[in-house]
Amino acid sequence: MIRNGAKENRVTKWLVSGPPLVFLLVFFVTPSLIMLFTSLRFPGEFGGLAPIISPTEAAQGEHGLTLETYQLFFSDILYAEVFLKSFIVASTSTLICLIMAYPLALLIARSEKRFRNLMVLLVVLPFASNFLIRIYAWMIILGPESVFSHFINGVLSAFGVAPVTLLFSPFAVIVGMVYVYLPFMVLPLYTNLEKHDPALLDAAQDLGANAWQRFWHVTWPLSLPGVFSGSVLVFIPVLGMFAVPDILGGTGDILIGNLIKDQFLGTRDWPFGSTLSIMLTLAVLAITALSTWLARPASITKG
Amino acid sequence: MTRSRASTVLLTILSAAFLVTGCSSQDQNIAARGEKVLYLFNWNNYIAPKTVKQFEQSCNCRLSQDYYADNEEMLAKLAAGASGHDLIIPTGNAMSTLIHQGVLRPLDKTLLPNLKNINPSHLNNAFDPGNKYSVPYAYTVTLLGFNQQKIIELGLPTDSWSLIFEPKYLKKIKGRVTVLDSQRELMAAALKYLGYSANDANELHWQEARNLILRAKPYWAAFSNTSYVKELAVGNLWVAHGYSNDMFQAALDAKKTGRKFIIDYSIPREGAVLALDSLVIHQSGTHPELAHQFITFMLDGRNSAELTNLTGSGNPNMSAVQFIQPEIIDNKAIFPDQELFTRLEMIQDLDRTQRRRLSRLWTEIKLRNL
Repeated sequence: MIRNGAKENRVTKWLVSGPPLVFLLVFFVTPSLIMLFTSLRFPGEFGGLAPIISPTEAAQGEHGLTLETYQLFFSDILYAEVFLKSFIVASTSTLICLIMAYPLALLIARSEKRFRNLMVLLVVLPFASNFLIRIYAWMIILGPESVFSHFINGVLSAFGVAPVTLLFSPFAVIVGMVYVYLPFMVLPLYTNLEKHDPALLDAAQDLGANAWQRFWHVTWPLSLPGVFSGSVLVFIPVLGMFAVPDILGGTGDILIGNLIKDQFLGTRDWPFGSTLSIMLTLAVLAITALSTWLARPASITKG
Repeated sequence: MTRSRASTVLLTILSAAFLVTGCSSQDQNIAARGEKVLYLFNWNNYIAPKTVKQFEQSCNCRLSQDYYADNEEMLAKLAAGASGHDLIIPTGNAMSTLIHQGVLRPLDKTLLPNLKNINPSHLNNAFDPGNKYSVPYAYTVTLLGFNQQKIIELGLPTDSWSLIFEPKYLKKIKGRVTVLDSQRELMAAALKYLGYSANDANELHWQEARNLILRAKPYWAAFSNTSYVKELAVGNLWVAHGYSNDMFQAALDAKKTGRKFIIDYSIPREGAVLALDSLVIHQSGTHPELAHQFITFMLDGRNSAELTNLTGSGNPNMSAVQFIQPEIIDNKAIFPDQELFTRLEMIQDLDRTQRRRLSRLWTEIKLRNL
């Protein structure tokens, strides 16, 4: 009887974890393996990849497998700098998203139930139009002759500060990133905050906690899982983004995404592009692991 | 009835799934009905809609187009397995890549009686000696576009690359200049300014160009491949390094919207990059005879002139000259005189080690400051 139950249990486990496993296998493991394999090959003279086994008549030219792209990556500090820069941009964007999304999510979670769905819908509404069109709209908003720019520079000149250009700057890149990924922070935060038991806040108030103490000792610790999942959802895509710096960035705004894109298009160096992608994947995995570890229940109850 | 409906739906889904081969569902239906469809893999806005209509009438077939925004994208799509294109219109270096890959079909010149319309100075270039595979279609020059009023006001030169490389000029237009986000194009401009060939791959010359670029970079607003057209036309930018047909577009836009300034463009006297796009026939296409028919159609002066009148592209077709609008044919930046023409250079492909070196240099240019 017991053995039977254990067996049933195992079957259920497989049934539950099977689909996600298959999903990961097809959409993550397989492409990663293809990338790993590509990174070990030589680039083709005219793009693409050099053959692994050279056809006899064209025996000249490199073929087979090599570690040279990894050598290239680790022997030059330049690429580490691009990674560092991307991490800074991603962290900044995530932090700003968090600061902007938290009050909004709290507001939605605390408002009357019948308005909540409408408000969530409004948060998601920008997705109804194409992402690139929305980014191009920011080009107009931030352009040097725009109302917004004139307003900002008017305020700055009143304080005696020289006028600034908003478009084509690191500032514009961060604005674009925050704008695109803000809903990804709001939604997990909201789903978390909505589940909080209002009785806890009442209890805290009864025990003499003021508004700030109620937030800092009750709401904030309980919302940490939402904060972490939201942060991961913002941080990771920003890390790999290339379109926003391409469109809004200035002369120095190169992120890993742009570097990888360059390898596949301009330089036609697929192996090095794959190596960079693998490094990015590893970095992302490390971050996810770290945030999962930080968000584990034990550390939250302690906090 | 139901069955044919179902098969239509299936075809639609299939064609959506295989978007990379780029056959729209409508074309699939036509193909299914047995009508001939010529597949053209083309640049955006690189054939007049009127010309398409006229060709379709003359051949009793359909012309279906897929688009690419740059040669690399086209090569990448082909390398990733896109197929079924009868004709492609690559630029010289990308064409030579295709020739070396052995994916092009040699032309049957007996089917192309009016090949003689092409100006001999555009024939027989290094990418395709003897034009075994290619027929010149149109060309662009990489040059400097500028806001004429601002340039006169500030007293800046427009006939030299110094406008985008020399700090003494740049400091007057700081933040109002963009250069192309292209390793080869920007390096070519820098190398030309330094007096070297656009195809120079000497490490020392590259370092010199790198220093020149890094010295000028703080004054540039951005590296831009497309947005400069609009930004020039609305007056946000005063100078841009870009393509002649884009500048033509910007000038037209500024004029149409009644701006108080004129967008003009000129070829720097140090020389510039010429990009000659040619029609080639891909082996994966299934209608080589129809493709030849299309080439013959496009070699006709009247049809060829339509493109120039629409996009301001340079035209290698001598019989087209009489059909081109006078203000375009008189524009020296689009139709340079013989003397200026000799200073134009086509970009040749680098080998893979050079490409990797240049890519590293490019990353450095983007990341570092002097």
